[in-house]
Amino acid sequence: MTTTRREFIKTVSAAIASSQISPTAMGAPTLEPGVFPAQSGGRRKVICDQDNSGPFGTDILGTLMMLQADNIDVLGMTLVTGDAWLKQEMAFTLRLLELMGRTDIPVYYGAEFPMLNTKEEWLLRLQLYGGHRADPWLGAFNRNNGGPQDVQPLPPPYDHFADIDAQHDHAVRFIVKTVRENPGQVTVYAGGPLTNVALAIALAPDIVSLVPEVVVMGTGFHAFTNTFNMFFDPEAARKVLRAPWPKLSIVPVDIAEEIHEGDEFAPGRRMIEEIATRAQSPISDLFQRYAIEPLRHDPNLNFFRMADEMIAAQVIDPAVFRKSEPMYVDICTTPGPRYGDSMFWPQNGQQRPETGAPPVSSADRRVFVDPSQFYMGPPPSAGLVNVLQEIDHDRFKKLFVDLMTKPIRKTRSKI
Amino acid sequence: MPTSPAQLAHSAMASPVSQSLPGSGGKKKLIYDQDHRGPLSTDTVATLMLLQADNIDLLGVCTVTCDMWAKQETAYALRLLELMGRPEVPVFMGAQEPLINTKAEAQMRYRMFGARTLGNEGYLGSFAKDAGNRDEVEPLPAPYTRFAQIKAQPEPAADFIIRTIRANPHEVTMYCGGPMTNLALAAMLAPDIVPLTKEVIFMGGGIHHSTSSVNVYFDAEAAKIGFRAGWPKFTLVTTDLAEQVHLADDAKVDYIVNHAHAPIADLFREFEQKPQRANPQRRSFRMPDEMMAAHAIEPSIFTGSDEMYIDIVTHNDGHYGDTSFWDGKPSGQGEGASSLGQNNPSLKAGRVEVLNGLDKKRFRELFVDLMTRPINRSQA
Repeated sequence: MTTTRREFIKTVSAAIASSQISPTAMGAPTLEPGVFPAQSGGRRKVICDQDNSGPFGTDILGTLMMLQADNIDVLGMTLVTGDAWLKQEMAFTLRLLELMGRTDIPVYYGAEFPMLNTKEEWLLRLQLYGGHRADPWLGAFNRNNGGPQDVQPLPPPYDHFADIDAQHDHAVRFIVKTVRENPGQVTVYAGGPLTNVALAIALAPDIVSLVPEVVVMGTGFHAFTNTFNMFFDPEAARKVLRAPWPKLSIVPVDIAEEIHEGDEFAPGRRMIEEIATRAQSPISDLFQRYAIEPLRHDPNLNFFRMADEMIAAQVIDPAVFRKSEPMYVDICTTPGPRYGDSMFWPQNGQQRPETGAPPVSSADRRVFVDPSQFYMGPPPSAGLVNVLQEIDHDRFKKLFVDLMTKPIRKTRSKI
Repeated sequence: MPTSPAQLAHSAMASPVSQSLPGSGGKKKLIYDQDHRGPLSTDTVATLMLLQADNIDLLGVCTVTCDMWAKQETAYALRLLELMGRPEVPVFMGAQEPLINTKAEAQMRYRMFGARTLGNEGYLGSFAKDAGNRDEVEPLPAPYTRFAQIKAQPEPAADFIIRTIRANPHEVTMYCGGPMTNLALAAMLAPDIVPLTKEVIFMGGGIHHSTSSVNVYFDAEAAKIGFRAGWPKFTLVTTDLAEQVHLADDAKVDYIVNHAHAPIADLFREFEQKPQRANPQRRSFRMPDEMMAAHAIEPSIFTGSDEMYIDIVTHNDGHYGDTSFWDGKPSGQGEGASSLGQNNPSLKAGRVEVLNGLDKKRFRELFVDLMTRPINRSQA
């Protein structure tokens, strides 16, 4: 192929691009990786894509952090089936926004089912290959969970269904439209399975270069490698993690496991006690009912790791994380025992990940052969992502407690 | 959304071949979703058939990457519609890449597990080793000569499919002659369209000729979603059936070159007759998409069908995209699996009607008639 011909083709391509194909599909501005653009009013525009499972838990707490942060402008919430079914999540989300006085935030229904995964096949896979011991949670697919249409009444302090409604538009179209209208400005907070984000980039691949950062919860190195948000929809996870985003930050379960909701804030004082005492309603009610009371019944209660709270922290105050490393990541989509498993490769191909407690101490890791003899790099098409590896415990806890206890930040003020 | 095979087994699958119910003006409403390879291929020839048929209301043309990249296909589709005097048919560019599959992996799988060569099915289209990249659009040869003046619609193909099926409940036939990427996206974004679709006609997969074909193994995940979705009727043209007739058989090409009008005569002369004369050993391609078009236009040409279940392998290995079939009506006798008391398909397998034979004489007559009749230009 001669240079002349290739140049000719390029010229023709450009002509075609500008004349025949959707103008939105190309010619859009792209961002340098890692550049966080200045935003009007200093607020970071965010779409919260979440399996917002109520009444309380990491999904809801991550959402509350986003709602309470002064420097965050939540453009909309897009829901996806994950920890609970979509319609039940919607009921909780709408009512939560009412209680928080934030009915101006539009909420969208997203994917009701994963791309390919099904409950029935999952349960059979677990029987065939053995169950997940480290984290047996199957969310909406839990054995005794109802179906997608089964919406249960909301417990206190939600009390009743919201008066406000969800938007008619589909979550995926909202994501595509919003990102295109705000090129380079909309951060995607992805706290659930990645079905909506995967569908959005399949439908509109041009948005990938227009999102300054996607922040994802899931994957793991040492605690366990098969994590819920990934194995609920492995194909979607693979697609999203492989896309060439300017920046995709990921909170693996290893860091999330370092801090739990029931941990101490100051010696002898738990974060949940601090919040239940000092926060305003409805946050105080939620913590009282779903953290303090259960603890009273069971002093040895194991609280959950702070998974979505950490991705919220990465959006609100990224300095909470002290170390991160670009690594290749991929998700197994072969429907075998490792379906949904996460795999990592350091960017330079020769190091091992250092997050969390390594299974073998560094001293024991004997290099007895020349590593250059081996291929240790990623598979073709694996995505290069920003893996968050070290968190400042005190700063994170302070951020969390401050956000939960500050006055409720009612209706977003437009600047 | 996904209906269990047991439920599907009890749903009415009345006649072995569908009766073409009249849509508006007695015409069958059809969305043409295709990897539209130019200048002339089974894709293009099927487009010509649908454009020439009196009883087809072509609601829109959707493109999808497979045989070529979607941008190049879109360029061909637009210009073909101009040449055929049908610029009012809207064209929507669909998925530019499969849901999950990538060229690097497709190439790596071939190296590791071997290329699919049984039945000459190793073809990878735009993922072939020496294929160009996604955004390169090459100039169109004569008789296309130049790029079209009409433009593609700004809407993605999947959105067009959703909108059109909702606006015409139970009336739209989906003609899927390429990978099911657009159809799968539409079904995921709007599961409500599945029961509202009249019929899906798809070309791909096989039982005897080969275990798969490019429309399936190019985007195995989309095929799995598409087959499993639970459409009211899903008609399949397999490679086994398509191999029964080839384009150059029975002197069809020479007859069309001599009797067809422009641009059809030119296309067949340039891209079938000339190569055939230059290389008499050349084996023209089978007619899969033409058969799908024939099924849309005149289903009675097909002599029968088997009710079957189908599922797709999405393991990232040598079997990526393989099709698995199960009998939809186990005989319940003999020494086969049914005597074991078990002949069930996979848990989420889709129900399909597999066309199993055609009247070759009538197929040839229909095909030659459509190619040689006056060009069916729009009235406007």
